[in-house]
Amino acid sequence: MSTTSDRVATPFLAADDRHSDLSTHFEVEQFYYREAELLDECRFSEWLELLADDLVYWMPTRTDRLRRQQALSVAARGEAAFYDETKSSLEWRIRRFDSGTAWAEDPPSRTRHLITNVRVRHANPTDDLAATGADGDTAVYAVRSNFLVYRNRLQREENLFAGERTDILRRTGDGLLIVRRTILLDQNVLLAKNISIFF
Amino acid sequence: MTSTPELAGRAGRPTATPAGPLHRPSELTPTIDVSGLVDADGGLLDRAIFTDHQIYQQELRRVFAPSWLFLAHTDQFRRPGDFFTTYMGEDPVIVTMDKSRAVRAYLNSCRHRGARVCRADAGTTRNFTCTYHGWAYDLEGRLVSVPNREGYPDRFDTADWGLVEVPRVENHRGLIFGTWNPRAPSLREALGGMAWYMDAMLDHDGAGTEVVGGVHKWVLEGNWKLSAEQFATDWYHVNMSHASALMLLAPAGKSPRDEIVHRAGRQYVDPNGHGAGFPVHPKNRFDALAVHQWFDYEAARARLGDARVEGPMTNGHATVFPNFSYLPVNGSVRVWHPKGPDRMEVWAWTLVDRSMPDEVKEAQRLYNLRTFGPSGVFEADDGENWSEVQAISRGFVTNSVPLNYQMGLGSEREDGRYPGKTSELYSDAAGRAFYRRWQSLMNTPAWYEVDR
Ligand code: FES
Ligand SMILES: [Fe+2]
Repeated sequence: MSTTSDRVATPFLAADDRHSDLSTHFEVEQFYYREAELLDECRFSEWLELLADDLVYWMPTRTDRLRRQQALSVAARGEAAFYDETKSSLEWRIRRFDSGTAWAEDPPSRTRHLITNVRVRHANPTDDLAATGADGDTAVYAVRSNFLVYRNRLQREENLFAGERTDILRRTGDGLLIVRRTILLDQNVLLAKNISIFF
Repeated sequence: MTSTPELAGRAGRPTATPAGPLHRPSELTPTIDVSGLVDADGGLLDRAIFTDHQIYQQELRRVFAPSWLFLAHTDQFRRPGDFFTTYMGEDPVIVTMDKSRAVRAYLNSCRHRGARVCRADAGTTRNFTCTYHGWAYDLEGRLVSVPNREGYPDRFDTADWGLVEVPRVENHRGLIFGTWNPRAPSLREALGGMAWYMDAMLDHDGAGTEVVGGVHKWVLEGNWKLSAEQFATDWYHVNMSHASALMLLAPAGKSPRDEIVHRAGRQYVDPNGHGAGFPVHPKNRFDALAVHQWFDYEAARARLGDARVEGPMTNGHATVFPNFSYLPVNGSVRVWHPKGPDRMEVWAWTLVDRSMPDEVKEAQRLYNLRTFGPSGVFEADDGENWSEVQAISRGFVTNSVPLNYQMGLGSEREDGRYPGKTSELYSDAAGRAFYRRWQSLMNTPAWYEVDR
């Protein structure tokens, strides 16, 4: 039986079994903390700089399935998703916040991104992802991390989003970039009136 | 006592299940006269209809139970045993294809002690087995297995204890609706003049529609009528509520307000409470570029007529009373499931033309996901409105101040182009008709009350 994480990883991931060394692990963790800081401080244009031009940013929906049909419990590529984005569609979404009329984020949410359980592996260097990258790309990492995102809005609105991210990171001359991000939210019916934040 | 359904059913109950000598005291279902809460002629509404618990209970009994309610799309059932679970009002139902390939719907509640017999959202199965004591039902709803069957008395007949079936299930161009009301007019009759407007989305080329990608589900802290009414009647909010999204869609260098504000259009006002509004322009287009480039507008003109292609085929909004709404430009169809007076759950599907090439379907799916749906740049701001209106309406004084539905009062007329009564694009006319229908149902005993 395939697990949900297989299902999510399959479209993108070709990780090999080698864990990263200590300094890479440290670097990736710091990269995520910096990213969380940018998101929590609504510095979205700086956040965009952490994303590769060939980004695929995907947050599939999940459903309750019979046990023998568990493989279908995470929507496949092309099925219902909360996000199915490219870098330019994310830029498009972010441009809205600067309009002064994006009411769902005006006044803005207070958010706190907690990123934990970071697991860094070397991705297979023959993977397409390296091939589609900028010149000289050699180091590609497959990273899984857990998140807990707290959102608080207006006087007393609260949302908790818990889940896992499966990322492909590419090392470039400017540091790490996110090439793929799959966000697996641990919810079926979305228990929030909207998703106007990023993970 | 008898187990014959004709003799033992009803007694004020909406289903013909054997009830023996059981009968519900009328105190359990107090009825409120809502005449004074809706002034459809004058365009005034009392906010109590969005907050009161007794009114909500009465809505489940008299608005939801007797009406045709959207269940699913025919595309979700391809072979026997395919099922999808949803709600009719607050009642959980299973929609499935039986062995003869008929789509049927059953109350998702075991006839023994009432547990749900199917707890998956969708899938394929041979039967529905209750995980409480193990009663099992087949795709035809028959009770086919009862552990310790010999423990029951002789007069216990499994034929009396099948799943409660939704007595009427019909579809209009792929949209499946069901009703508990055995005396309801046919679905087609209930849709009435609204079908002409719906077909502008559902019947572009005769090949029909299909679902892409499953169902988006999310919660909103608002009364279901706020959104159902808005989709029936409210183009007015677009310019303000969606200013930021319109900015994203506007051609570079053009102010979105000029683009949208001065649009002319019509709003269809259906006597059964349905409504649809749409700008009218000979160059109205699908928003998603790939859809626009693929679409054969000339062929659509030949099939649907100029009026529909220039109006309700692309931009616009619509509600089929009570709680089914859609947006033709991106194929978003949704149900506003009531979850108490203060809450609803939105379930949204994306429909595309079956005839579209895969990459066009994909473009429509992505466009819909990015504009409507929980992360959509339009939809996010809608949810904000409804939860805001709901949150403050508990205030005693706030709740007592009437709301205004007076735009376009008296403007409904036959315009010679769009069938039925229509009003201006910017109008509350379909909203007034929505609440007139609501009021009439709320004050009319449902079929099972008349049987008593
Ligand atoms: S409740 Fe279903 S078998 Fe008892
Ligand atoms: Fe809207």
